[in-house]
Amino acid sequence: MAYIISDEAKDLLKDVKNFCDNEVLEQCKGFDRTGEYPADLFAQAGELGFTSLEIPEEFGGPGLSRVDTAALLEEMARADAGFATVISATGLGLKPVLIAGSDEQKQRAADFLMEGGLAAFCLTEPGAGSDAGSGKTYAVRDGDEYVINGRKCFITNGGHARFYCVTAMTDRNAGVKGMSMFFVEKDAPGLSFGDHEDKMGIRTSGTCDVVFEDCRIPVSAMIGEEGTGFETAMKTLDQARAWVGVLSVGIAQRAMDEAVAYGRERVQFGAPILKQQALRFKIADMQIKIETARQMCAYALNLMDAGEPFAKESAIAKVYGSDIANECAAEAVQIFGGYGYIRDYPVEKLIRDAKIFQIFEGTNEIQRVVISNHVIGRL
Amino acid sequence: MEIMVCIKQVPDDSVKIELDEGTGKPAAGRAEPIVNAFDTYALEMAARFLETGIAGEITTITIGDESSKGSIKNCLAVGASHGYVINDELFEGSDAQGTAYALRCAVRKIEQDTGRDFDIVFCGIETSDETSGQTGPMLAEMLGCSLVTNVVALEEKDGVLHVKQETEDGYNIVETAMPCVLTAARPNYDPRYPTIKSKMAARKMPIGELSAADIDASPDRIGAGASLVRTIELSAPPKRQAGIIIKEDDIEEAALKAFRMMTDANVL
Amino acid sequence: MTDRNIFVYIETAGGEPVKVGLEMLTPAREAAGGGTVTAVIIDGQADHAAEEALRYGADNVIAAACDAAPPENTVGVLSLMAGKYGPDVIMIGSTPAGRETAPRLAARLGAGCITDVNALTVTDDGIVWTTPLFGGTILEKSGVKTDVQVVTIRSGAFKRSEVRDTAGGGITNEEITLQESGVKTKIIDSVVEISEQVNLEDAEIIVTGGKGMGTEEDFLKISELADVLGATVGATRPVIEAGWASRAHQVGQSGKIVSPKLYIAFGVSGATQHLTGMVGSDFIVAVNKDEDAPIFEVADIGIVGDAKKVLPIFIEECRKLKNE
Repeated sequence: MAYIISDEAKDLLKDVKNFCDNEVLEQCKGFDRTGEYPADLFAQAGELGFTSLEIPEEFGGPGLSRVDTAALLEEMARADAGFATVISATGLGLKPVLIAGSDEQKQRAADFLMEGGLAAFCLTEPGAGSDAGSGKTYAVRDGDEYVINGRKCFITNGGHARFYCVTAMTDRNAGVKGMSMFFVEKDAPGLSFGDHEDKMGIRTSGTCDVVFEDCRIPVSAMIGEEGTGFETAMKTLDQARAWVGVLSVGIAQRAMDEAVAYGRERVQFGAPILKQQALRFKIADMQIKIETARQMCAYALNLMDAGEPFAKESAIAKVYGSDIANECAAEAVQIFGGYGYIRDYPVEKLIRDAKIFQIFEGTNEIQRVVISNHVIGRL
Repeated sequence: MEIMVCIKQVPDDSVKIELDEGTGKPAAGRAEPIVNAFDTYALEMAARFLETGIAGEITTITIGDESSKGSIKNCLAVGASHGYVINDELFEGSDAQGTAYALRCAVRKIEQDTGRDFDIVFCGIETSDETSGQTGPMLAEMLGCSLVTNVVALEEKDGVLHVKQETEDGYNIVETAMPCVLTAARPNYDPRYPTIKSKMAARKMPIGELSAADIDASPDRIGAGASLVRTIELSAPPKRQAGIIIKEDDIEEAALKAFRMMTDANVL
Repeated sequence: MTDRNIFVYIETAGGEPVKVGLEMLTPAREAAGGGTVTAVIIDGQADHAAEEALRYGADNVIAAACDAAPPENTVGVLSLMAGKYGPDVIMIGSTPAGRETAPRLAARLGAGCITDVNALTVTDDGIVWTTPLFGGTILEKSGVKTDVQVVTIRSGAFKRSEVRDTAGGGITNEEITLQESGVKTKIIDSVVEISEQVNLEDAEIIVTGGKGMGTEEDFLKISELADVLGATVGATRPVIEAGWASRAHQVGQSGKIVSPKLYIAFGVSGATQHLTGMVGSDFIVAVNKDEDAPIFEVADIGIVGDAKKVLPIFIEECRKLKNE
């Protein structure tokens, strides 16, 4: 394990690995096929504390460093990318509260997660993907409540989360400065969910539309000041990017592990195929990519822990991690040959799982916009 | 109810342990140390038992060394409230009677120090390394209390302990006086996983370390010298002759080929 | 040749001696050398069991009637009898009750105790007992240092040998009263869940299904082959944990140790604890998709392929053979 982590985290990692090996890996193979949501598995993960990982210590969290947590999440992603996505998306749903919420809100969110609940972040709309600022969901003040109307789409943990952080326009004439962030609990009246998407990969995670039809929430549910929602959302994504990189590294590591295990056993021309230099070099290249991606994530996460600027590094970790995950997954299938194309073998799933990591939480094209902005600055 | 769960740290039982020809000893190198499976069942049963609303705590104990603290810590993360390692080179080479004697001394000493007597002393029915299953029954004899083996469930009814004892074709419900020694078989559920919270809390919990002197264990009853049995030799079981492997593209052909061989060998 | 006085505690169930009880008389004879083999039976109705004991090698029988109930009575009676008659070795069958009794007895007598013996070597200096470690991957040879030795003998490790007509041996009756305070447990209910009688230990042919059969439905088809062959159905631990078969069918370290003439394993990977249970079979045939499955290390014929597909072919061929 190439993340440098505390003894505490090493100990926890053993338990996480045990749980992933015994429960996640096998069960998720079946759920990936059927598309059924593994509700019991996530309930168990919640009980074990997997949803509490990113809660700061002062609100009851385990007090691990971000890199410590990354080691645990990578292990989960190795076992099943969808499983890790659900856990990681819960962290994503928590971030707006931690970035801009009051202590009361933070504790409330933390309590939900410590009870084993999931969280979700609702920014994306049918008309607002990369162009996140053009969201149409709006919130109107009515007495001591806000009433939200609109539709969010592609929301991970939609329908399963205990709470949702939702962006909505409070002033439709102020552009992005008219967007606010809200803390919506699962039983808010007027909140409903679309059907779950039938996805190419990460099929053990639930993804659906989150619908607001005169959805009423208390005024106190606004996170941060009115009009700061977009800023909070962007700060959320800046952080989240590194975590996407972390999960991507898990997928890539799994791809390489499977390829090596297979290549040692598969005999052609009288020898294991990993005797062939062409394939050995493929493994070397995979390892170079994986370790580099991992260390980029570690760097970005350490900057975050240190309170230093990290947005560019986080974006790099996301782009590079997801790109190499896709490369490594494809390469693993190649090494498996014909068998790699068969669903009975574990690697075709990795291609299907890896693809989304180049798309969600800011497409890799948007990441390049972010990175180049950081480098070039204003012209 | 005060429950003592005795555990043993053993090599990972999912790893095949074979004889190291060089040393003449078991080659346990690749196998990580874990808590003996049957002991984890005992601990889980004890935890569930108390969770039905019975006041009391679980203490775990093991005879080992510094590395055994890891196993005790793992037990503290899944239901135990107190943990001890009996660590003293005087115990090295003890047979089951020496082990049971040491545990008896420790139980009495802890009872003396805490002022609370144990109602149940719970062991796994056997360990995955030696599989002799002697320690529990010997401990019962030395503590002078009742013994029920092959336990898969516990229940309290009006202050009396009822345990479910697995039998070859079903089960018995056995009423037992306390204090008692129970040995655990496999219940129909898995032991719980530690939560992140419980694991981190367990790391902070103190683990008592006891020497032979601390528990008033007489040196002439422990260790290799006091052992009533002696190992003469370890050997690998004779290997069967390698057989014929049939691998055809057409499974029907393979099956028929095998069948013909079986009729030729006159086994059918 | 050293003469030893051997006690063999023969556990009974419904007046019948348990299998291992009579099997133990064989190694007992070997251990006795020129000495005597005494069977000890604790049962109100011991006549039939006593006759069997004499028939299979006991020189004489002590039939003890005791006021206390099992399991406490066993340790109490054996320890009193040991004190009275002074045997050198007390052999107890490695049944669940035996595995509980032997160490308690040993502790009470201050005797060395060895469990699960599957072989022995008798010399003038002493007896060397062989037991399995780590589920059977390593064998340990041990000796007992004390004058009295308490050992449990594994079921199926020895074969019983009919030696004589019963006229030779004597039966001594002992009436034992144990103090009430000795009794601390009471069986208040006894439930039989598995009513099927599965005799794996005496079976000549065993057909076993493992988790590799895929589904319960496919596993249950094993019994079709068993019917045609007149075989007993065996199961691996994972199959029993999945609820496809009852514990009575379990072959392995924690189930039954078997030694049929023919053992056919479908979809069994060959985990150590299962192999320990069946490696004594005369002829082993195994079918598994995975060519690295450990079962192939012990199989006389191994078929690499889908067990589900091979099974119907075997059933068909066996039916044909039977009809010829």
